Amino acid sequence: MAITDILLALSEAFLTTVNIFLLTLLLALPLGLIISFGRMSKNALVRNIFKIYISIMRGTPLMLQLMMVYFGPYYLFQIQLPRGYRFIAVIIGFVLNYAAYFAEIYRSGIESMPEGQYEAAKLLGYSKSQTFFRIILPQVIKRILPSITNEVITLVKDTSLAFVISVTEMFTQAKALASSQFSMMPYILSGAIYYVFNFIVAAIMEKIEKSMSYYK
Amino acid sequence: MKKIMILVLALLVVLTGCAGNSTKDDDENSDKTLETGALLHTVEEGKFIVGFDQDFPPMGFIGEDGEFTGFDIELAKATAEKLGYELVLQPIAWDAKDMELESGNIDCIWNGFTITGREEGYEWTKAYMANQQVFVVKADSGIKTKADLAGKVVAVQTDSAAQSAIHADKELLDTFAELVTVADYNTGFLDLMQGATDALAMDEIVARYQIANRADADFIVLDEALSSEEYGVGFKKGNTGLRDQVQTALEELAASGKIAEISVKWFGKDITTIK
Repeated sequence: MAITDILLALSEAFLTTVNIFLLTLLLALPLGLIISFGRMSKNALVRNIFKIYISIMRGTPLMLQLMMVYFGPYYLFQIQLPRGYRFIAVIIGFVLNYAAYFAEIYRSGIESMPEGQYEAAKLLGYSKSQTFFRIILPQVIKRILPSITNEVITLVKDTSLAFVISVTEMFTQAKALASSQFSMMPYILSGAIYYVFNFIVAAIMEKIEKSMSYYK
Repeated sequence: MKKIMILVLALLVVLTGCAGNSTKDDDENSDKTLETGALLHTVEEGKFIVGFDQDFPPMGFIGEDGEFTGFDIELAKATAEKLGYELVLQPIAWDAKDMELESGNIDCIWNGFTITGREEGYEWTKAYMANQQVFVVKADSGIKTKADLAGKVVAVQTDSAAQSAIHADKELLDTFAELVTVADYNTGFLDLMQGATDALAMDEIVARYQIANRADADFIVLDEALSSEEYGVGFKKGNTGLRDQVQTALEELAASGKIAEISVKWFGKDITTIK
């Protein structure tokens, strides 16, 4: 198989990778914010429920979580889900997992906000939600952007775990091609594709960081 | 606090109750029940979903044109055609194969699937090929017999027949320095090539194909085999209806010479055992 053919096959599979990546980000970023609110709640029960959630999601392997989400319905509840469930299970697994990580990042950003900001906002007559969305959140985003970039880049590479429930994304394809071609070339090419994509992601995040540092 | 707990518990009970009911309805309506073996039951109407390991040439792998190909794939294609099903090829993670089959995501496992040692776990067709589990070593390793494997690092694929065969032979296993598992045979061969392992135990048919196609190192197969066994197609326990259908199709293909044709194409001669 010519290198161009391998690249083509890998690129097709890469679309699945990008799909998983974008959907996970789209859903996990907002969900993470909600979870972080729960985690910082004044109500002890709510706080502890979310603490346990974060602890389990971060404390067990993502691969295991994917298997639970996919095979769980059958083994626990005897529910037979349609074939399309494979991809949905991947997204559910990834979103639940990454939301936990994002929640902790949001929390670190929000809790590092100086009390003075809240006091000044109160003095100026901002309501609670106005304070949060207009004063606090922009500052939080600026502060956590490097951590978020880290997680985002990790996400791109974690998509290769989707194979444990038989969703073919780029790394799986590279493995299959390497087996059938008896060569390492597919791995090298897939590594290159991952790198280029991550480079673009990092460049975009850097641009965002620059554009948000309007005080510097 | 108590009220919340009671509410949550009640919800759970209702949910599991509903789930139980809905599967029963499905059973009555769509013949998808896997209790009554007499009925024909594929997981999806009209489709025959074959689960296979896509890292397993020559039985199932990605061909030059980017499509799935291999001896087992072609045999499955011919069978699906004969039975009038639409063939769906589903690559699976080999160590998740049982879960995929159990939970109804695939109809059968079909790729160099060894019957020997797994008789009780699945509904099997009659064997369509005989095979041996052999040891692959580098040509210059100096290992010639099973005895030479003493103190060596031996690799097997996770959940493979080779793994079971070695575990069944305690004496042999105890002579090894270590038994390592790999996820797929490509990794296995890479380990072997660079000396991380000394031997790889695997299916002879696959071993010979791999050796013939790997130009970068010289491997040999030890004369002393690990075990003899047979390949079959595995179905979920209880799914005798589909199994019998596929069995009949295979026998018809054998009678018409189609199986021999596929075998010659891949192995140069007819090594199948279906009559």
